[in-house]
Amino acid sequence: MNPDPNSNGLTRRQFLDRLTKAGISITAACAAGFWFHDDKGPALSKNDPSNLILPDFSIDALGQKMSIVRGEDRVATLRMALKSLGGIETFIKKGDRVLLKVNAAFASPAMLSATTHPAIITEMIQLCFRAGAASVVVTDNPINDPASCFTLTGIADAARKAGARVLLPRDDLFSPITVKDAKLIRNWPVLYKPFTDITKVIGMAPLKDHHRSGASMIMKNWYGLLGGRRNIFHQDIHNIIMELAMMVKPSLVILDATTSMMTNGPTGGSLSDLKNTNTMIVSTDQVAADAFGASLLGRSLDELPFIGKAEAAGIGTADYHKLNPVMASI
Amino acid sequence: MIRENKNNSRRQTFLSMVILSILMVIGVGIFITQSHFNPGILQKDAFLPGPNKNKPSSQLSPNASFVPLPEGIQPLTPTEIFDARNLSDKINGKAELYLSGGFTRLVSQRFRDEREADLWMEAFVYDMGNSQNAFSVFSAQRRQDAESLGLAQYAYKTPNALFLIHGRYYIEIIASKVSGQVLQPVKMMAETFIRNTPADAATVNETELFPKQELVQNSMVLISSNAFGYDGFDKIYTAEYEFDDHRLTAYLSHRRTPVEAKELASAYTVFLLAYGGKNIEAQMPIKGARLIEILDTYEIVFPHGSYLAGIREAATINQAKTLAIRLYHRIKEGGNESRSEQ
Repeated sequence: MNPDPNSNGLTRRQFLDRLTKAGISITAACAAGFWFHDDKGPALSKNDPSNLILPDFSIDALGQKMSIVRGEDRVATLRMALKSLGGIETFIKKGDRVLLKVNAAFASPAMLSATTHPAIITEMIQLCFRAGAASVVVTDNPINDPASCFTLTGIADAARKAGARVLLPRDDLFSPITVKDAKLIRNWPVLYKPFTDITKVIGMAPLKDHHRSGASMIMKNWYGLLGGRRNIFHQDIHNIIMELAMMVKPSLVILDATTSMMTNGPTGGSLSDLKNTNTMIVSTDQVAADAFGASLLGRSLDELPFIGKAEAAGIGTADYHKLNPVMASI
Repeated sequence: MIRENKNNSRRQTFLSMVILSILMVIGVGIFITQSHFNPGILQKDAFLPGPNKNKPSSQLSPNASFVPLPEGIQPLTPTEIFDARNLSDKINGKAELYLSGGFTRLVSQRFRDEREADLWMEAFVYDMGNSQNAFSVFSAQRRQDAESLGLAQYAYKTPNALFLIHGRYYIEIIASKVSGQVLQPVKMMAETFIRNTPADAATVNETELFPKQELVQNSMVLISSNAFGYDGFDKIYTAEYEFDDHRLTAYLSHRRTPVEAKELASAYTVFLLAYGGKNIEAQMPIKGARLIEILDTYEIVFPHGSYLAGIREAATINQAKTLAIRLYHRIKEGGNESRSEQ
C-alpha cells in the first residue's frame, strides 16, 4: 500500500493498528481500575476483631436518675447520693461483676485531685460487695508508667485493701474497636478485655479543668480506655469525647467535685489550683452529670461543646433539671 | 517528508511532556494527601500503633539522678525523658500549652527525702528553647496566691510546690504532701539545679516596658499564639491594670520590622471591626493609634517602631487613653534597648 501523501507518514493499516492497541490499553487500564475500586472502603468482615463493641451496661429500668449532694466529706456525700437513688442495691445485684473505670492518669498524690480519690474507690468497692457483687475490678490506661500511677495516687492500695482486683493495662487486653456512626474511633485499640466478663460499669472521675477540652469530667474519663497514639485525638477533642460517650454506656457514674481543679488542668500540681466545691454527683446520665459539673467549674455549655454534641447524639440530657435531680446537703 | 517527521516527532514530544506532567501532578497530589491522612479513620491494622508502645525513654540507671542532689535527697524512680512526640503521655492535655510555646524536651524524675519517709517529690524540667518561651508557660500557669521567691527572677512557691525559670528551662518541683518543712528540700533541689546548670539569665525585658502605675502585681503573661482570639497575634505580652475597681489589659509585642508592626496593628483593627467594633474618632498624642468600641468596652491599638501595642477592655475612653499614653511613653523611652534574650 502506498503511503498517502497527505498523511503524517502513517498508512491506514498502521493507524488502525495503533488505534486498536491504544483502545485495548485504555480498556485494560479502566478494567483494572474498576477491578480494584472499592466504593465502600475496607469493609469489616465477620472475623474482623473491629466488629467488637462494648456491651450496653446501662440499666434500662432505672431511666435517667441523678443525685447531687453537698458536703465536705466525700465518702458521706457518696453514701447519701446513692441512698437517695434507692441505695447501691438499685444498681448492683447479687452476683454482679463490676468494673470501676477510675481516673489514674497521672502519678500524682491524691491531694492534688488530678485522679479519682482513693477514699471513694474504697467506699464504692465495699458498697458493691455489700450488695452482693461477685467481683470488682478497677482499671484505667495511663499511658506513662501505669504501675506508678496506680501506686502513687493511692488507688492501687485502696482497691486491693477493699478486696478489688487492680487491672493494669497490658497489650493483650486491647482490641481494635469501631464505634457505630463514629468518625474517629474506628478500628482503634481500646482496653476491651476487662469489659468482656463483667455485668456493670461504674465511671468514677474527679472534676477538673482541662487545657484542651475545657473540662475533664465523666465523659472525658473514658479517654483512658483508648490505647495507641491517642494524643492525635486532642486535635478533635470535643468529637472524641462525644464518641467515647457513645462507646461506653455505664450503669452509673460518679463525679467527685468535693475538691475541684479549677485551673491548670488536667495535671494541676499545686493546691492553689484547687477549690473546695463540696459536691458529689451520682447519675445514670453521664451527659447530665457533666453538665452540672460544668456549672461548678463556672463554664457555660457553649464553652464545652462536647456536652452539646453528646446530647445531640442522644447519649443523655444536658439540661440536668429535666432529670429532677435529688438535691441534698450534709 | 523529513520536515513532516520532525513536526510529528515534536508534537509527540510535546504530548508526552503534557502526559508526564499530568502524571507528576497526580503523583504529587497523592503524596500530599497521603501525608495528611487521619490515623483516626485509617482502617489498616498494620498502620495502627499498638497500645502502650510509646514508652518514655528512661536511659539512666534507676539510681541515677539527672541533677546533682542536695544531702538527704535520693532518686525514687528513674529519669524519664519526653520530646514533642510523647509529651502528652506524661501530661496529657496540657501538652498543647508547652508545644505551642516552643517546647523541646522534658526531663522528669521523682525523689524522696530520707528524713521524711512518706514524702516524695517530682521534678519537671522543661527545656523551652529560650527564656522567652519559658516565661510564656511560666506566666500562663502562674498561681494567683503564690508567694514570690528570690531564687531566680521568676520564681514562686505554693503550699506544696515551687515553680521557676532558669534560663531556657521552666521548672516545677511538686511535693506529695503539705507540711511545715516540706518546701525546704524542694527549695534545696531548685538551688542545686540552678547552681549546677549553666544557663543565661532569664531576661524578659518586654515586661519592663509596662507602666508600673496601677499595675496588678504578677499579672504579666506572654501569650505564644492566637492572643485575644486573633490568629495573627503571637508572642504578645499582656499585663493587667486596675482603674477605679475595673480591670483592663495592656499589651505589647516586638515585631521583626516597623512595617510588620504597623501592618499587624492595622489587621487587628480590621478584625475588631469585623466582629462588631465601632471606630471612634479621638485625639491622641500617639501616631497611628486607633480607638475602637466593642462589646461596651474600649480598645486602643497602635504601632510604635517595631512594637505593636494596645489596651483592651477599658470601661471608659478616658481609662483607655490614659493607659495607652503611659504605655506609649514607656515604649518610646525604653523600647530600643529592651529586647528579650532569644
